[in-house]
Amino acid sequence: MNYTKQIQEIAAKLFAEDKIDVFVGYRMNGFDDNQVPVLITGVNEIPKLVFTDKSVFNLVNYLKPDHTRRKRVGLVVKGCDSRSLNLMLTESQVKRENLYVVGIACEGVTDDAGQKMQNCTDCMVPDAVVFDEMLGTPSGSQPAAYKANADVTALAAMPLPERAAYFEEVFANCIRCNACRHSCPLCYCAKCCIDQETSTLYNGANTTSAAFHALMTWSLHLAGRCVDCRNCEKACPSHLPLHLLHKQNESVIYENFQEHLAGVISEDRGAFYKYSLKDPDDFIM
Amino acid sequence: MSFSTFVTDKAGLQKFYEAILANNETYAPVEKFGKFDYKRVTNLSECDPASPIAKTLSMKPLFFPRSAKVMKYVATSSGTDVSEVDEDPLANKRVVLGVKHCDARSLQVLDKVYNWDYIDTDYQKRRMNTVIISTRCDKADTHCFCTSLDYDVENLDALDVRVVNGSGDKIFISARTAKGEEFLSEPVSGHMSRITDEVAGPEMKNQYAAFAGSFRLKMDYKEVNARLSKIFDTPEFENVSGNCVSCNTCAFVCPTCHCFKISDEKVKDTGVRYKSYDSCNNGYFTLMAGGHNPRPAKYRRWRQRAMHKFVYYKERFGENLCVGCGKCTISCPVNISIFEVVNQVSVSMQE
Amino acid sequence: MEKLLVPTICKVDKVIQETPDIRTYRLKFRDEGLMEQFTFLPGQFVEFSLLGSGECTFCIASSATRKGYFDCSIKKAGVVTADIHTNIEEGDEVGIRGPFGNWFPLDDIKGKNLLFVGGGIGLAPLRSLIQFCIDNRGDYKDFTILYGARTSADLCYKDEIKEWQDNKSLRVVLTIDKPEETWNDNVGVVPKILEEVVKPVIENTSVITCGPPIMIKYTIQSLLKLGFADKDIITTLEMKMQCGLGKCGRCNIGSTYVCKDGPVFTNEQLKSLPDEF
Repeated sequence: MNYTKQIQEIAAKLFAEDKIDVFVGYRMNGFDDNQVPVLITGVNEIPKLVFTDKSVFNLVNYLKPDHTRRKRVGLVVKGCDSRSLNLMLTESQVKRENLYVVGIACEGVTDDAGQKMQNCTDCMVPDAVVFDEMLGTPSGSQPAAYKANADVTALAAMPLPERAAYFEEVFANCIRCNACRHSCPLCYCAKCCIDQETSTLYNGANTTSAAFHALMTWSLHLAGRCVDCRNCEKACPSHLPLHLLHKQNESVIYENFQEHLAGVISEDRGAFYKYSLKDPDDFIM
Repeated sequence: MSFSTFVTDKAGLQKFYEAILANNETYAPVEKFGKFDYKRVTNLSECDPASPIAKTLSMKPLFFPRSAKVMKYVATSSGTDVSEVDEDPLANKRVVLGVKHCDARSLQVLDKVYNWDYIDTDYQKRRMNTVIISTRCDKADTHCFCTSLDYDVENLDALDVRVVNGSGDKIFISARTAKGEEFLSEPVSGHMSRITDEVAGPEMKNQYAAFAGSFRLKMDYKEVNARLSKIFDTPEFENVSGNCVSCNTCAFVCPTCHCFKISDEKVKDTGVRYKSYDSCNNGYFTLMAGGHNPRPAKYRRWRQRAMHKFVYYKERFGENLCVGCGKCTISCPVNISIFEVVNQVSVSMQE
Repeated sequence: MEKLLVPTICKVDKVIQETPDIRTYRLKFRDEGLMEQFTFLPGQFVEFSLLGSGECTFCIASSATRKGYFDCSIKKAGVVTADIHTNIEEGDEVGIRGPFGNWFPLDDIKGKNLLFVGGGIGLAPLRSLIQFCIDNRGDYKDFTILYGARTSADLCYKDEIKEWQDNKSLRVVLTIDKPEETWNDNVGVVPKILEEVVKPVIENTSVITCGPPIMIKYTIQSLLKLGFADKDIITTLEMKMQCGLGKCGRCNIGSTYVCKDGPVFTNEQLKSLPDEF
């Protein structure tokens, strides 16, 4: 998977036709063979752009107002990224007419060690679902329905106290930097409830209970919305297995409240935003 | 005062550590989820004093906790009672093992801010009650640049005891301060043999020379200091901070970042006040209640971070607020390197 | 350090509704001995905590020359201040830390003409100095107070302003931004009134100004145009602060800690700071 040349051409064309103000892509990080995101504002920077199986970061994060407010943006999205973009569009966070989306028929990306990432081997939607232009040959497969992956089944098989102990360890090692939520493309709230100093409920204290409270709230807001791009996990300085938390929470959503995978269908707001009379409620006292 | 140096081998070092663990409250890098953090240990098998620098969080939390209880209060019908928290975590003497030299340097830098004007007595107490035992790196990591900064990595004052690998199997353990000399008394050093500085000195020098030769990153900090101090308004800050996601990780893992926030936790009529880490990369860090924010844009916050590290702190306290450990770059989701930032910005100035 | 972050309990002696969104809280230490020991100079600030809600920085709005109490004027602006307005009544208890920061250069302004230029809640820190100077009236020459607000309802300390107006040794000029039916005084923004109505003497005059950032900006421009020197223009900066001890890093402007080196600065000092306030 190498679309470096095509992406450079597309970016050049978009700038030449004055269709965008900024192009969000990837560049080499400058010290090893891994890549980092880059925001390009002029044609002279285009040669920096690359795209290979090392293009890991979900660039939809840069559509938040902090980064590209009131700008026309061109960006590259893989399958999972495009689902988060779809959610941002559905949730009215970005305007489609301000975007030029280069979709990728993704063959999976690799981690620092060169191994295919776990979310890629489990991937159910490799092709971009939102795009103006598609690179690569789409697999053509229809997005499959939710299926619990090995992690979820392993967690489900764990006795409850053991599972609790495992997650307790996760919360105890959290340093409350909130990098997870800032790297998450779907955490766009300008004032986040878990990340405010004036909140007496979710204050910034780094205690296990505060970390539990914050991480669980965050994860529940993502249940049924998480597209498994792993931006959060890669940002975590303590290397916490945050995707397990999301997987665990979303399995409940998919089994009970939401039929389609997050961000696969445009215009469908998903369980987090929607109430249906058919929603099971037998667990409520 | 002259300080002792001992020579030993791997097994002797093990024994040295075990002797420390047996009699002291000891902290050392403990691995969890592939990352090392300094935690209380009781058994040598739990920790790794030679943990790789790229995977080790700073020991700053031992001196400046990620969250400290400041006070508690109880509201009753007769009035509100405010009290300090009763626990005194500093009563005992403690030992930290496997400290990296850059990390130890950060204490020297932090001493300045904690000891000016209002003195942070808790920090001081923690400092005084702690014996720091270092493990000197043999090789620089990709993002290390400690040798390029304004301190002597080889002979650092913040260390009490220094552990250096010599040629072959040899390991040198030497005291650096009176506190360290006292600590290296019979119980922990009985099994090791004393060695004179004439013999140990050259070997340690060789180790340092090999270490100093392994750096990818090198810069002239004086030039960077001088140039940065003149370029507050350069647009280059916008370029270097373009892909920053404002996630704050850099400040939380940085051994010298010391900004904090004060927050309350309330349960009915009682409450606790915490002092916890905060970061200048946060949008709300300087946001005032009326809505005015002196640093509303991302590049302004990055500029504050870079300038605080290499200009403002130097102006105020005479030291760079960066120890060149590379922790921020390693933890950054988009690998923004403070080294690259200050260099790129100051070079752009030259052009 | 943690000790320095523990507040002392004060009782709210009186609450005065100054304007629809500003209230003045008159505070006394619960421990009377502490109240006697509590000394401060005009321009200093305190950290005011509503326990369980949070801590905010407020300047002291009264002078230590009036013994037995101190005032904080609080405008409803954020979460904590809104909580304070809703929850704190006379007799309630709040936490206070301080006083922190520097003060107005009392020695430098001795023997000079004084011109106070205030806008909105910005009169609060000035009021501390005004009271101090009134109580030491002999030390100063001409004494002018220019105070403006958006509307007549937004003028703070209305009763006290009347006292000032009745005091023959003070000149008080009031203004509001837009005309109102019942308002017979000046209309116009502060800098305009400063130039057209006050017409201050430049010689041997110190100007002390405080108000919203935009007002301070234009007032300083007017003052410079009138011929004042940078060192004679004194202002107090608003900056996010939390610890007040020069540690938490929030109030950094360049290598300056506003909570230690400020909040009072002359325009000369401000000019040497990076433009981040």
